[in-house]
Amino acid sequence: MKPGSLFLIFLAYGLVMGITGLAFYGLAGFSQGGTDTLITPDLQLLNDPYIIQILLFSIKQAGLSALLSVLLAIPLARAIYFLPRLAGRTLFLKLCLLSFVMPTLVLITGLVALSGRSGLLTPWLGEDWNLYGLQGILLAHIYLNMPLAVRVLCQQLNHIPDTSWRLAQQLKFNRWQLFYRVEWPAVQQTIWLLLAFIFVLCFNSFAVVLALGGGPASTTLEVAIYQALKYDFNLSEALTLAWLQFLIAGLIFLVMARMGKVRWLSADTHSQRWQPQWPVWQRHVYSAGYYLSWLVLLLPMIALLPSVIDARVEQISLAVMLDSTLYSLLLASGSAILATLLAWWLLLAVRHAVNVHKPGWRVLFQWLATHTLVAPAMVLSTGLYILLLPLIDLERWGITWLLLLNSVLLLPFVVSQIQPRLLQFDQQYHYLAQNLKLSPVQSVQVIWPFVRPVISSAFSLALLLALGDVAVFSIFGGSERMTLPWLIYSYAGSYRIAEAALVSLLLLALCAILVWLFERSYHRPVKGTAAAPRNSTSEYNKQET
Amino acid sequence: MDWKNKLLLSLATGLLLFNNLTYAGIKTLNIYTYDSFVSEWGPGPQLEKAFEAQCQCDIKFVAAEDGVSILNRMRIEGKKSKADVLLGLDNGLMEETRRLGFVKTHELPLDHLKAELNWQDKQFMPFDYGYFAFIYDSRKISQPANSLSELINSDVQVIYQDPRTSTPGQGLMTWMKAVYGDKTAEQWQQLAGHTVTVTKGWWEAYSMFLEGGSDYVLSYTTSPAYHAVVEGHNHYKAALFSEGHVTQTEVAAIAHTSQQPELAREFIRFLTSEAAQKIIPVTNWMLPVIDQVELPDAFDQLIQPEQIGFSPAEIAQQRKQWLREWRRSASQ
Repeated sequence: MKPGSLFLIFLAYGLVMGITGLAFYGLAGFSQGGTDTLITPDLQLLNDPYIIQILLFSIKQAGLSALLSVLLAIPLARAIYFLPRLAGRTLFLKLCLLSFVMPTLVLITGLVALSGRSGLLTPWLGEDWNLYGLQGILLAHIYLNMPLAVRVLCQQLNHIPDTSWRLAQQLKFNRWQLFYRVEWPAVQQTIWLLLAFIFVLCFNSFAVVLALGGGPASTTLEVAIYQALKYDFNLSEALTLAWLQFLIAGLIFLVMARMGKVRWLSADTHSQRWQPQWPVWQRHVYSAGYYLSWLVLLLPMIALLPSVIDARVEQISLAVMLDSTLYSLLLASGSAILATLLAWWLLLAVRHAVNVHKPGWRVLFQWLATHTLVAPAMVLSTGLYILLLPLIDLERWGITWLLLLNSVLLLPFVVSQIQPRLLQFDQQYHYLAQNLKLSPVQSVQVIWPFVRPVISSAFSLALLLALGDVAVFSIFGGSERMTLPWLIYSYAGSYRIAEAALVSLLLLALCAILVWLFERSYHRPVKGTAAAPRNSTSEYNKQET
Repeated sequence: MDWKNKLLLSLATGLLLFNNLTYAGIKTLNIYTYDSFVSEWGPGPQLEKAFEAQCQCDIKFVAAEDGVSILNRMRIEGKKSKADVLLGLDNGLMEETRRLGFVKTHELPLDHLKAELNWQDKQFMPFDYGYFAFIYDSRKISQPANSLSELINSDVQVIYQDPRTSTPGQGLMTWMKAVYGDKTAEQWQQLAGHTVTVTKGWWEAYSMFLEGGSDYVLSYTTSPAYHAVVEGHNHYKAALFSEGHVTQTEVAAIAHTSQQPELAREFIRFLTSEAAQKIIPVTNWMLPVIDQVELPDAFDQLIQPEQIGFSPAEIAQQRKQWLREWRRSASQ
């Protein structure tokens, strides 16, 4: 490994681990009475039946959310893969991305307008329907995460090489064997990963649980941490709960992520796909499910429209709206760029571990790179805030920390997007590249066409997620300028609910435009890829023809 | 992509430069407050303009998320705090702030304040207050509940805020305790039977209500005034309860760290002046703390409840235990 890369790796890991370390230190080291001892976790809490109840509920809702999201996503992804004649398949995948990045507060408004007490759909949902409670939480979590699973599974299915299908045909596999021998191996590892990923996202869920939970019975650890930190300023309780969350989410993620053996399928994504034909009835059932999901995903967005009609547009300052839009884009692109760069550097270490066949190191590096997925975001932001506030002028430097923290929180998403493609590249070309003794510039030139599509999609995912950030902004954002989500909060916080709905719609539209732009660039042919690896060129050619 | 990035970068640099411009020569008064107070449509901008016209100073608002975040910020900053004035704490936070020694005595007369406030505090000055109340839509409900117990023992759908995370929620908790004392737990259970949801903060609950999510929502007696003055709608009304209502009083104080307590004191005096008291009700949607303030007619239509409740000291002392009672009985 070259000293330059080594330096960048150290820098990236130092930063990522440093932020978490500093945040925990900020909480533990804070002394109110002037004593210098570290605050220790309060283990008594583990005997509190209330905490146990919270813990069990967190696990239950996260487990159910993950399971249902993935179970629903599997048939949808198969429909999209096996039925090329379905209308609007690419558009549907874009919609999936939009659903996944949809700011939760926009989704909640949509769901309430749709199936709340006087929702548009409520009359048809039966007498006993009640949005609030476990069902509401699950509904929102499935809405947010099932589309992600569909996208990922589709991608994975697309990697099944033609040759596998041909071979299966020659062996006269029946439908069950086709599924078990061809499809399952292609998605198995991804399914475990998805389950783990969605579990952790829902385990740490905050806004959805509070808005749709219906009462104190539905409380997650994150909510308890928030309460301890904010309303009681009880740092030792917050720390205990944070460690608990960190450990449980971290363990579950680690175990599940390790479940499936890594099995790299052929990288080829051919233009001429050869697939088995499905019987007619199956095609009909799957198509119906597919078109139904179109409706389901669109409805919460459409439901926002009626409330916008009340908005007093003349009261909304166009300048403020434009300014917030620009500011949101600026901050989000900053975080996304930083996150992508960091992910690249962090993955250098993971790739090296794979190339020299050190699976233990690979897991460690990978875990460190994505550990912010399981670290409670509330603790990271508050811990840093407590540490930094007395030391530096946050009015001035707040934005820098906001960018840093946001990018670190985005890392799990970016890393998981880029990593498979990079490992694939190494598997195929690492030795060749080594033998050719490429200069750093040359090696970037070689790898770039291969990874450009995933980098672009990882960046756009990061950008979209960062656009929805409220948690970090509420702590580090200055009061002079507002981002769009913050503008929604300000409107809603001063009775201007219809205006808040209007801005929500604007935010959603902005996300939709970005999704459209990035997905377009993803599929655009790249010039000058003649020297690029065969696979990527063939992928682009597919799009051109 | 490239030119767009460049454009964004140059925009960013421009903004940074702009932010670094400082006003030279005049005193700066740092006021810690909460977000919605200084938002474009909140009282902040108008108060700033009015006060700066008379003080030869520059007001700098530092906005935290909400009242309790102001207190937490003071805790974290300790002696290094730059705050001159703490603006927007409420009666639920007063005792804790006092105990931590974050405020100085204001040494201002209190006799101009409304008699019903019965205000004697030497450190905190009230600048607005409101009664908690359940709001309903009179187009849908013609016979509103006349008492808290009628509401609790009916089957109407209610949304309120989490007392762990929001001040109205905490207000309801105090209200329940004031009315039911030792028997509060059963009443929470009864209420839970027809509670639609408990939200994190005020606006989540209120917007759900406006979208038809419930029959009643916990808010303030002043909420109907907003709808009347800004939207011209008169159908949102507050239910008057025979047991009486509890209040939330928002207060300001001089920070212990202030290097210019005189200027801070001037600002606090200004807050209860007629000029400021005319601005606050129609921007923060609470009641003025002095009599004879000229306000839109809608304020005359508001219900006039009887005041009940506990002193700040009592609330501070028992809050934890009340919360435990709530979460036990409301989660069944």
